Amino acid sequence: MAEVTLYHWEPNANSGKPMLALAEKGVPYQSHYIDMLKFDQHQPEYLAVNPQGTIPAMTHGDRVLTESTAIMEYVNEAFPGPDLMPADAQDRWRVRWWMKFMDQWLGPSFSMIGWCTFVGPSLAHKSEEEREAMIARIPLPERRAAWRKAMFAEFSESELDESKRRIAHGVSMLEEELGKREYVASNQYSLADINIFNSTYMLPVGNADLCSLEATPNIWRWLKAVYRRPAVQQTWAMGSGRFTDRFNAIMGDFAG
Amino acid sequence: MTILYHGEPNGPSLSVLAALFESGLAIERKAIDLLAGERHALPGVTDSVALDMAVEGEGPVLVADGEAMSEAVFLAQYFDEKTGGCGLQPSDPYERWQMLMWCRQATERLSPAVAYLGNLAWSQKRLAAMSEADFDKLTGMIASEDLRQRWQQLRDDAVDAAKVEDSKSKVAQFAARVEAQLADGRGWLMGPFSIADLETFAWLRPMRELEAAAFAGQERCIAWMDRVEARPSVQKALSHATTDNPAHAFAPGPEINRWG
Repeated sequence: MAEVTLYHWEPNANSGKPMLALAEKGVPYQSHYIDMLKFDQHQPEYLAVNPQGTIPAMTHGDRVLTESTAIMEYVNEAFPGPDLMPADAQDRWRVRWWMKFMDQWLGPSFSMIGWCTFVGPSLAHKSEEEREAMIARIPLPERRAAWRKAMFAEFSESELDESKRRIAHGVSMLEEELGKREYVASNQYSLADINIFNSTYMLPVGNADLCSLEATPNIWRWLKAVYRRPAVQQTWAMGSGRFTDRFNAIMGDFAG
Repeated sequence: MTILYHGEPNGPSLSVLAALFESGLAIERKAIDLLAGERHALPGVTDSVALDMAVEGEGPVLVADGEAMSEAVFLAQYFDEKTGGCGLQPSDPYERWQMLMWCRQATERLSPAVAYLGNLAWSQKRLAAMSEADFDKLTGMIASEDLRQRWQQLRDDAVDAAKVEDSKSKVAQFAARVEAQLADGRGWLMGPFSIADLETFAWLRPMRELEAAAFAGQERCIAWMDRVEARPSVQKALSHATTDNPAHAFAPGPEINRWG
């Protein structure tokens, strides 16, 4: 079988999606860590793999794949192992719906807050000149604009408020969804769970006001079930720093 | 019990109707006026979350066993899978990835741009002419705060010049992208016909008039659009128009990417 190489950052949000999908399928892969905060993704070696300079990217033999959700769908179809899509057509539609909702509506709000509170400040020690040079190396104009906002703290109060509104609303929608079914979008663990877990696993510490055993019992039950999956623990063991710390802190609560 | 509620054959309503006819599934259809907000008052909906929070905005809705289903590309995939495969998506995983990536570009870059321009050109006046009470009644039915805001901005004619420019350039970029994709002489975007053809065509079609310059010199793109339009499924979808020019039918669509 052709070899799989995954270029990824931490098991978190977009990078975590293909990492976890590969682990659930039992597909061995060569892990290639891209340090996003050191801008490895805009270095010539990585641009030779993915000229867009976005992470993650995966190679399978001579095929190059990008975009985390689409990579997951490929992984599920191209490799043997447990099927991470339900069989019923309406369930499959629902899995896709929730993934799009996360990728385009809720996820960007989580991301904006994360970039404002973590990614931007992580680079604040660099001189203005260094930051400008980093921005100049980014291939996509949209990504240049995003990094500029984060590095120079240019988020407006109203756009941050809108992101917070969306996060609160999205969490309440997820709570309602998990009251209807055992997992997100269907009664089986699927790509939708992997997708949404990657952006919500830290809710109990990052947004304790919105997500707790008392406030969101259905999300709590679901998080606990997903945290306990061997593939999830194996994947987060590959992480470092705050991502693994948060995971381990919450896992401690769920272990009992 | 399954019913497809659709607007005039334009944008997502056009691609979903054509996909349904490609599949041959016998699903009941009902035309609704999207710009009158009728999508938010459908009968028999017991689970409305995918209608309320559709990223696509005012697109067609398939109601199956009380559940409202939305998002044109996913509805086309649903039709294809419901039939056990009617040729709307490739079966090879890599070709499928290529098709999904194409559709993502179309829904994330092209469709918000077309919706922005199309609504300003052809739907703004009708909304502006509504009485305050009627407009409040309409928006009162809309669950999503950000979608409601897009309706309000359209009525108020709150034009963002930067978004207009950005949208125009995205339309031109997409026409050029189609042209480049067809450069090897292939007949359809992915090689074999697929959802990518329907989705891209359905959003580019209304731009032929509004953004004619985007198609200047894009001969392969124009010939491909004529080929898609000539398909029996597309002709049948277009025959469902109740207005003289369905390419002018718009209602607030997907938002222009706000972050990331």
